[in-house]
Amino acid sequence: MSRVIYWASLTLAFVFLVAPLLIVLPLAFNDSSFLTYPMDGFTFRWFGVFFTAPPWLDSLYNSFKVALGTTLIAVLVGGLAAMGTMLAGKWGQRLLSALFGSPIVIPSVVMGVAMAYAFGRMGLGSGYLSLVMAHTILAAPLVFLSVMTSLKGLDPELDRAAASMGASRWFRFHTVTLPLAMPGFATGALFAFITSFDEVVVALFLASPQSQTLPIVLFSSLRDRLEPTIVVVALLLSIVSFLFILALNHLQKRSAAAR
Amino acid sequence: MSSLEIRKINKFYGANQALFDVSLSIGKGEFVTLLGPSGSGKTTLLKILAGFEHVSDGEITLGGRNITELKPETRNFGLVFQGYALFPHMSVRDNIAYPLKVRRKSRDEIDQRVKDMLDLVQLTRFIDRRPNELSGGQQQRVALARALVFKPEVLLLDEPMSALDKKLRVDLQEELRQIHHTLGTTFINVTHDQEEAMHMSDRIAVMDHGRIEQFDSAFNLYRNPKTRFVADFIGKSNIFNGEMVRDAVGRALDFRGEGLEVPLGLTDRAQGKVELMLRPEDLTIATEPAGAGRISLPATVVSSTYSGDRALYLLKLASGREISAYGAARAGIHADGAQVYVAFAPSDVTLIG
Repeated sequence: MSRVIYWASLTLAFVFLVAPLLIVLPLAFNDSSFLTYPMDGFTFRWFGVFFTAPPWLDSLYNSFKVALGTTLIAVLVGGLAAMGTMLAGKWGQRLLSALFGSPIVIPSVVMGVAMAYAFGRMGLGSGYLSLVMAHTILAAPLVFLSVMTSLKGLDPELDRAAASMGASRWFRFHTVTLPLAMPGFATGALFAFITSFDEVVVALFLASPQSQTLPIVLFSSLRDRLEPTIVVVALLLSIVSFLFILALNHLQKRSAAAR
Repeated sequence: MSSLEIRKINKFYGANQALFDVSLSIGKGEFVTLLGPSGSGKTTLLKILAGFEHVSDGEITLGGRNITELKPETRNFGLVFQGYALFPHMSVRDNIAYPLKVRRKSRDEIDQRVKDMLDLVQLTRFIDRRPNELSGGQQQRVALARALVFKPEVLLLDEPMSALDKKLRVDLQEELRQIHHTLGTTFINVTHDQEEAMHMSDRIAVMDHGRIEQFDSAFNLYRNPKTRFVADFIGKSNIFNGEMVRDAVGRALDFRGEGLEVPLGLTDRAQGKVELMLRPEDLTIATEPAGAGRISLPATVVSSTYSGDRALYLLKLASGREISAYGAARAGIHADGAQVYVAFAPSDVTLIG
């Protein structure tokens, strides 16, 4: 009986989550500029539109630039924050973890408004730099959590062993701690990238016409230009997200094997 | 190499005192074991020797040099941890080479020394394996090689065999002794296993509740325990509470207590309370009373434990007191409830302290 319930609930969840995608995504290949069923034919031309038309291509490039910048800084900031927090005592760690994790709790709209205002006051305005900074604030906590988990999972005796053999703190860090915490950094980097790449709310507040990201163009196309190219983007983003999850899975398996 | 002096170490954890005036004088090249039950302070003392804990009071000197405040990185002591602490992301070769890399030795020297250590612990063909591909005993040997490769003055071992099964432990004890003999490094081992301590050590420091009860060779600890704790902890024993009393003539002292009267004829002791110990192997069991010169006590067999080479009997004396004694097992064992005689010579007893 429990097997029936298991398979039934699994199927229902799957259908609930995936069915909307399955219904919409085939329209990426529709040989007509309308998003309607039945489909007029099968074509790849909307993929061609995506990869050649300026608003799409430029925004894709911008999204990558922003995501890359965000990942680099977020890994640095979040990673250092985690390493520093590990050195604190029990209560210090709790306080710092709450502080460093707090940006996740704040609603994106609030973030967007606050940052647009703050950056405006500072004279930064909108554009690439402010977008990267804003995304870093959103992504760094994820890196922080990921690296913290990795560091906490390390056997403290390994560091003591290295110390007993004469290794200085720095030597121990880059020969023992860092290599073993790498999965945490890698996972954090992936999270940071995908968070920035997918992010639309704060980007709407902070992007200038030159630095529009892909989600922004997608969002405005829904109002102005409803064509299958939108579905192409959705399909591609879904595939990218799926690949990221596979990569995350692979990383987790590797770090589990190292224990 | 020089001698290690531990002088009056006291250690407090908050209001809790873990070590009380601990002092030991360890000669160079000695194999010393810190032996005691959990909570005895032996691991605390080892951590202090390694530099991972500070002393609250006292000092440690090596060859006259005060090392009490040195960080672990600068003590140059080898350390084998209870869980071995091998680096999981490095091969056996890189694990053993690590302390040499820290000391920036040349590539050739590193290769040679790693090879020599692997030969010493008999793991030569495992050089490129990862720690998770090795058995517990092999991991322990790699940890040992890694801790010795940089030729430390002192090797500290924190219950390195607690995770291994009995047969493996016995084999490794012998290997450890051989390695100690070959290298001549001072070894300080921590364990709660008294057999392990007796098999390997030159001297054993028996610890209880943060104090050193006795620091002596295994033989002296066994035959001349200074305190009841030592007598109880090492090997099996029968301990009788009693006092020294003047004999009939009024000159020498005999023991009397718990239904036992042993003429000892001692003149160099004070009168008063004392504890008397008889080891199970000091007693004989027979169906007839023993001859003159020996004291025979009638007893009833309560139970027996057969070990092949001999049997350990639990017997009840007339006074109701239970004792244990070894008996030969070649021709069979005495049945439960049998009436026997337990005998010993007065010279076989040991007075504690």
